[in-house]
Amino acid sequence: MTTVDISKYGLEVGTPAIKSVGPLAFGPEGILFVADNLGATIFAIDVDDSDSVSEPRPLDVDNIDTRLAAYLGCSREDVFIRDMAVHPSSQNVYLSVMRGSGSSAMPVLIKIGADGTLSEVTLEDVPFSQTAIENAPAQDDERLDTRLVQGNREGEVRERDGVRYRVARDRLRTATVTDMAYVDGLLLVAGASNEEFSSTLRRIPFPFDGNTLTNSLEIFHVSHGKYETASPIRTFVPYGGNASVLASYTCTPVVHFSLKDLKSETQIKGRTVAELGAGNTPIDMVSYMRDGQEYLLVSNARHPLMKIACKDIDQQESLTQPQEPVGVPRQTLPHKGVGHMANLNGSYVLMMEQDDEGNASLRSYNISTL
Amino acid sequence: MTGQRRLELAWADYKDSNCLRVCGWTVAELRELGDLPGAELSRRLAILPSELVKAGAQMQALQPLAGRFEIDRDAIYFIPRFPFLEGTSYSLLIESGPGDSGINNVEALTIQLPARSSPPTTRVVAIYPSAHELPVNQLKLYVHFSSPMSEGWAARAVHMRRADNDEPLEDVFLNMEPELWDRERRRLTLLLDPGRIKRGLAPNQEAGYPLIEGVPVVVIIDAAFRDAAGQVLQTGAERRYNVVPPLRVRVDPKDWQYHCPTVGSRDPLTVEFDRPLDHALLEHSLWVNDAAGVPLDGRGSIGTGERYWRFEPQLPWEEGRYVLIVDPRLEDLAGNSVIRVFDRDLMREEDAPADARQVAIDFTCVVSTPAQPL
Repeated sequence: MTTVDISKYGLEVGTPAIKSVGPLAFGPEGILFVADNLGATIFAIDVDDSDSVSEPRPLDVDNIDTRLAAYLGCSREDVFIRDMAVHPSSQNVYLSVMRGSGSSAMPVLIKIGADGTLSEVTLEDVPFSQTAIENAPAQDDERLDTRLVQGNREGEVRERDGVRYRVARDRLRTATVTDMAYVDGLLLVAGASNEEFSSTLRRIPFPFDGNTLTNSLEIFHVSHGKYETASPIRTFVPYGGNASVLASYTCTPVVHFSLKDLKSETQIKGRTVAELGAGNTPIDMVSYMRDGQEYLLVSNARHPLMKIACKDIDQQESLTQPQEPVGVPRQTLPHKGVGHMANLNGSYVLMMEQDDEGNASLRSYNISTL
Repeated sequence: MTGQRRLELAWADYKDSNCLRVCGWTVAELRELGDLPGAELSRRLAILPSELVKAGAQMQALQPLAGRFEIDRDAIYFIPRFPFLEGTSYSLLIESGPGDSGINNVEALTIQLPARSSPPTTRVVAIYPSAHELPVNQLKLYVHFSSPMSEGWAARAVHMRRADNDEPLEDVFLNMEPELWDRERRRLTLLLDPGRIKRGLAPNQEAGYPLIEGVPVVVIIDAAFRDAAGQVLQTGAERRYNVVPPLRVRVDPKDWQYHCPTVGSRDPLTVEFDRPLDHALLEHSLWVNDAAGVPLDGRGSIGTGERYWRFEPQLPWEEGRYVLIVDPRLEDLAGNSVIRVFDRDLMREEDAPADARQVAIDFTCVVSTPAQPL
C-alpha cells in the first residue's frame, strides 16, 4: 500500500537495511528521509501515512521517554531519541529512536498519533530508495569518490590504456550526518567528518540518482576580521520561502547563507550573524510565522531557548569586528530544557523538553505565545 | 480470574524467538481469554519492564511492550516485537473484569532475564597523537579499541586532567552527538572544542584554550567505556602530554625531508615531516606513483610520533622519476592542512588558502656506485 507514485520518486518496494536511525526530514508527499550513520546511508521511505487532519491541533505527551521504554521493553536509559519530524499532511509526529546500545541496539521509527498513541513505522515491504553518504572528495579531486590504493589487499583492479591500477571506495573517512532538510528537489545534508575538520553541506538531488553535489562552505566568524573556512554544521533551518539557510556550527557562530548561492563545486561565504558563547552547543532550529513575520527558534545545550526575527538576520551586517552584544538581536524565551523542535501545522511549535530529573516530554506551544 | 490456580512465568523458545510463557491457567480462564478478540486480550494482559510498573500505574495510558499474545494448548505466550533484554526484569499484568467491588483487579507476576556474565575482553589499543607534545591549539584525539564499541560513552568515559596537580580540565572536548566513529566502531574521534581554539570567537575569548600552554595533561579513558557487547574494558588507559605553543602554519610538503632509496633495492622511501601530522589522515593521504602515474604496489607505514612516513615497494626501485602524491586534506595536530591554516589571520598573506588539488613531489632513487675493483 502506498499513497505516493513510487515510480515518480524512484522508490521500490522492499525492506530497507537500516542499521541505525538518526536525523529525520520529510520530503515531497510525506516521504521520510532517514539518516543511517552506522550504515553511511540515507533512506527515503514512503511511510504511507494518509491520516487526515480537520483542524490544527496541539500534541502533548508527558514522559515520552518512559512511554517509549515501556513500549520498547527496556529501561529509560536504553531509549535514545535521535530526532523528531512532523508529517506535512497528517501532522503525526515521527521519532527516530535507538533502543539499547552496542551490538544489541535496534533502530526504530515511531509514529505518535493525534491521541499520543505510539506505533512502530513498519519497514517491511515498503516503497523506499537509498543513497550512500561516503565522505565527500576534495574540490577538483579527479579521483571523485574512489581512491587509488597501493598493495594488493584492497580495492579492485582496473585497467586504462594498458595500465593496471587498483581503486577502492573511500571507506576510511566516514561522514556523520548531523542534520537534514529537503528544499525544492534537493536534500541538504550537513555532516561532520571523523578525520579532517571540514564544513561540508551536501546537496543530494531527490529522486536519488547516485550523484551527490558537494559544497564546501566558507564562512566568516566574529574574530577581529579573522577568517576561517571550515567547521561542521551542527544544525540548520531553511527559511524565507527556502531562499535562506541559518546554520549553527560546532564552534557556535550562527551563520546565514543564501540557497541561491549554493552551486556545486564552489565555496560560498556565509555571513556570521550571531555567536552563542562558550561551552554551548546548538541542538536544533525551527522557523515559524507570527503576525506575518517569520521567526526562528534556536535550542541550545547550555544557553536558554533563543528567538530571532528573520528580518533582523537580513539586516545584520557580517560580523567581522568584535562588538557587544555579539550579532543579531535575540530574545531569550523561558522554556527550559528544550532539545528537538518542529513546526506543528503552522499553529504550534512542538518541543522536546527535559525536566531537572531528566524526564523528556513533548509540549506544543501556540505560536501566538512565542 | 482469581480462582484456584497458580500462574507461572517462564522463558521459552516459541516461534523462533525468546518469548514469555505463562502457564497455570484454569481451563475456564483459557477458554474465556481465547474467546476474546486480540485487542481485548491485549487490554487484559500486558507486559512492562518491571521498573516501569509503578510508573505505569500512575500513567493511565502507558502503552505496554509491543508484541502479541497467543494461546497454545495450556499456556499463553507473549511474542515481543523487540527482544527481551538480558539483566532486565519484566512483569506480566493481568487485569480481571470488575469484581464485587466494581474495581478492576490487577495481578502482577515478575521474571528476570538473566545476564550472561563473561570477563571483559576489549582494551584500548592506542591513543593518538603518539607524540609526547600537543600544541595548545590541538584539535583532535583518536582512541583505538580492540573491538567494536557502544556509542554514547565518549562524554562520560573520556576525561582530561592536569598532570601537575591532578585537577580535571572541564569542557575540553566538544560534546559531539552523534559521536564520530569509524565504520567498524573501533576508532573514536574526539574534537577539542573548536570554538575555544579559534582566536576571536566568543568561546575562546570567554573561556580560553581548552589546554594551557606549559601545563602537562593526561588523557584518561575509563574502564567503564562499554564495548558493543555492553562489556566494560579490561582496564582503563591514559596518555600524558606536554603542552607547547600553538601551531598555525599550513602543512607544506616542500618543508619535508625525503630520504630516497637506492635503485635496485626495496629499501623504504622515508618522508620526514617538519611536525607531527594527523594519524588517521596519514593512513591514506600519501602514496607513490611511477612516472606514468600508476600507483606502485607496496606498503606505507607511519613512523614514531607521526613524524615519518615510509613506503616499501613490492618490486625493487628502478631508475627514473617517481612521484609522491599528497592529499591536500592532510592535517597536522592543530587542524592546519595543506590547503589552509585552521584559523587564518587575514593579515598574513602567506597564510592564504592554497590550491586544493593534490600535491605531487617528484623524486628519483639514488644510483649506487658499484665498488671499484682494486
